[in-house]
Amino acid sequence: MPAVSAFLVPGSPLPLLRGDEPPYRPLRRALDEVAGRLADSRPDVLLVYSTRWIAVLDALWQTRPRLDGVHVDEVWHDLGDLPHDLRVDTDLAHACVAATNAMGLRAKGVDFEAFPVDTGAVVANALLNAGERPIPLVIAANNIYHDGPTTERLGALALSQAEHQGKRAAALAIGGLSTEFHRAEIDLSDDHISDPAKDELNRRLFDLLAGGDTDAIRAFLPEFSDRARGDQHMKHLWWLLGASGGVQGATLQAYGPDYGSGAAVMEFTTVSEQAVETPRPGATAVAPGANRGAPVWQAAMRPGRRRAAARSWSRPSP
Amino acid sequence: MPDGVIAGFLAPHAPHFLYGENPPQNEARSRGGWEVIRWAYEAARADLERLRPDVLVVHSPHWITPVGHHVLAVPHLRGKSVDPIFPNLFRYHYDITVDAQLAEAIVEEAGAHGLLARAMRNPAFRVDYGTIVTLHMLRPDWDLPVVGLSSHSWPYWDGPTPDEEIREVDVLGKATRAAIERLGRRAVVLASNSLSHRHFSEEPDPPDDMSQEHHYNDLGYRWDVRMIELLRAGRTREVFELMPEFTREALPETKSGSVTWMFSAMDYPEVPGKLYGYGAAIGTGNAVMGFDLTDSIVAGR
Ligand SMILES: [Fe+2]
Repeated sequence: MPAVSAFLVPGSPLPLLRGDEPPYRPLRRALDEVAGRLADSRPDVLLVYSTRWIAVLDALWQTRPRLDGVHVDEVWHDLGDLPHDLRVDTDLAHACVAATNAMGLRAKGVDFEAFPVDTGAVVANALLNAGERPIPLVIAANNIYHDGPTTERLGALALSQAEHQGKRAAALAIGGLSTEFHRAEIDLSDDHISDPAKDELNRRLFDLLAGGDTDAIRAFLPEFSDRARGDQHMKHLWWLLGASGGVQGATLQAYGPDYGSGAAVMEFTTVSEQAVETPRPGATAVAPGANRGAPVWQAAMRPGRRRAAARSWSRPSP
Repeated sequence: MPDGVIAGFLAPHAPHFLYGENPPQNEARSRGGWEVIRWAYEAARADLERLRPDVLVVHSPHWITPVGHHVLAVPHLRGKSVDPIFPNLFRYHYDITVDAQLAEAIVEEAGAHGLLARAMRNPAFRVDYGTIVTLHMLRPDWDLPVVGLSSHSWPYWDGPTPDEEIREVDVLGKATRAAIERLGRRAVVLASNSLSHRHFSEEPDPPDDMSQEHHYNDLGYRWDVRMIELLRAGRTREVFELMPEFTREALPETKSGSVTWMFSAMDYPEVPGKLYGYGAAIGTGNAVMGFDLTDSIVAGR
């Protein structure tokens, strides 16, 4: 069964903390509308991937039942605190850890008090999931050594495990588009996409997503990432392709700046249920056209086999 | 002794070093490990003590601010910092006194030098582990005020390019020095960076199994040794001439700018660096080095 709904939202805190500024009003309005659309789809669980939760060791899944506290953004600390109280579907998260290990990718659950939940997840939860009965989350980390197809497989794995547990899932991709920030101080009320060429690339991406041709989307995402300095190689969209069960179109709800870089709110139309193979219990659901059987990409881990294209996401911790 | 920037330390921040120390502030417990680096820090601490600074100023690659250069400017910061990468090793209760006046002066000077710079004045802010590990390893008593600077380079992006970033942190270093001199502080500047930075993708079990620790590859090790030899000889100009090639080949953490910032704040002195020790942490290359501008370390040898 495909996801009951699927969305792309920005990881920036600006629409939450400064949603009244003209450049962010359309994004904020769209986020408020999407919150209703998400609730209307009546999911049991929200499958979340935020580009800003960076990992370098293993595939990480949040397994702490409650992630509460006060987060302060690394950049926009002057605009206010971000109190949060995220609820995690720990049964499903543990199943995802086990299934990821079974798929041949080492995985771990993350269960630590005061773990620094990233701004994207905190903001998205505050804007989309602040009702009296919050939708439990499953949150996967962005391991910088996972490529797009691997991330798509993780998303598909999460969807498959949700179905295995009889849960209706919604898919949420949290992240940006082009990432060219302003390098000089601007007033937030004057914010705009900093580079017309990147603006053009963002719009080309919207057209492709709206068209719903997943092979064309997959083919364009690496080019977009290179030319637009796409946020974290746009792996949040790869996640969405997997966690949605496949998409056949999308509606752009809003597009705007995030201090010069690009941000959008999109709602996706998932493939019709009949079009999706019924996965075997425990197997990974793969949408039509997904690159089934693609090996988990870990070439960057082996000396001398690092892809040239991996340069920009190859400088992690410790 | 003179005021101004009196010394710099290359002081890498893998959480493993602090985890190996088992300080009371850290919740995680180890059986030790990474002793070569920890002994190096012991020797560096003694030299830092002899320098008698007023303030420690640190530039960290794990406070990542793609918009602008940010400076910790809350007089007192208290909280718990969990490393998002190694939460199993680093869950540290910090209590930090900040030289907020110097922090504000650095922001002012950075702005005057044409940079986008901001003071971080939110007391609820979580201090990153790069800042904390470097400061703890050099001054575990936390009895000196500190200033922390963010890294403007988001390491996982193509931009800013290394050239763009080097220009920015070079200016940031000059602004830092100007602020320190304007206020008459005796400051030690700290670059919280490893050298070669390729690392393992899986963690040993247990994490402090030292039979599993080694340099990730020979290329990174040889590059590190080459740079350390130049730094020990005081051949600073050659170090920075080689920096682009080093960055391409060894993928060093110095790409985030801390070393360039530190040398800029010291005005690129051609003084011999003192190597306290060099070793691996989850495959990366880590050198602890000091650069004394007052000759006090040399006199103490
Ligand atoms: Fe680091």
